[in-house]
Amino acid sequence: MAAAGGEQQQMLTQRLKAAVHYTVGCLCQEVEEDKDVQFSKQSIAAISEITFRQCEIFARDLEMFARHAKRTTVTTEDVKLLARRSNSLLKYITQKSEELASSNMEQKEKKKKKSSAAKGERTPGEQEAAVTENEDSNMA
Amino acid sequence: ERSCSSLQHKSALPACVTGQKKMNSHESWSLSPEEFEIWDRLYRIKESDGIKEPVLPRVQFETLEKLEETPFPLQKPEEGAARELSLSEWSVWQNQPLPTSLVDHSDRCHLFIGAMEMMELMRHQQGDCSYEQELQPHLRMEDVNIAGDKRTPSMANPP
Repeated sequence: MAAAGGEQQQMLTQRLKAAVHYTVGCLCQEVEEDKDVQFSKQSIAAISEITFRQCEIFARDLEMFARHAKRTTVTTEDVKLLARRSNSLLKYITQKSEELASSNMEQKEKKKKKSSAAKGERTPGEQEAAVTENEDSNMA
Repeated sequence: ERSCSSLQHKSALPACVTGQKKMNSHESWSLSPEEFEIWDRLYRIKESDGIKEPVLPRVQFETLEKLEETPFPLQKPEEGAARELSLSEWSVWQNQPLPTSLVDHSDRCHLFIGAMEMMELMRHQQGDCSYEQELQPHLRMEDVNIAGDKRTPSMANPP
């Protein structure tokens, strides 16, 4: 049974690697067009493999950063910590995270208005359920 | 003197300068006059040495706005006077773990070695890529960004 589990794990790994490889191929193509260069298939494969491995490093660090702050949920603060060594990278990530946060806030506001408009017809229990639902969709 | 300081480096600087008398002047962060004399005589790089000052390459992001990233202003000697330490000059040595002393190789170091090994294996491949051929049957289009689909990258020839 352990062997079967390992095999399935292996299949999932291959599937994930294939997705990363495909996406890296797309990104490299953009760079090719932008810089007027050509990537060999081998260089794209190498970038994919390195990206895949880098995800292992990121995942492990993020988990540790969250645990260091006594959290079990990884947040944007942990992601910023990944970039702490480079000023330009940190600035970029921080900017993106602020953009995301403000667009999340906007969506929340919109939903709040909607749900408060519909408030009259709802029982308190239903309202609560609606709020939870909103929060869940914001997390996604 | 040299061997003494290189082997017994556990305290800050020349460990040979122990003894209570000398410890007094060592309490500040900077070198004591005796330590300065040793550093000046044995380790300091001077023009007469005929070697270039070693500097580390500075981080630069090709795809991001460039901010000046020199936490160490000392690392900026005049052009040509410095030798930039290379992290890629000996890449052919890097597909196997090199010896360690007290600190083991980290996981990310092993991942790096593995990637170098993979590149070494692909080095002589022409045209078709074994990595691509191995992974292609595992690709599921629902895993990837559909927007990228239009671009038809080299790998995307759905079976």
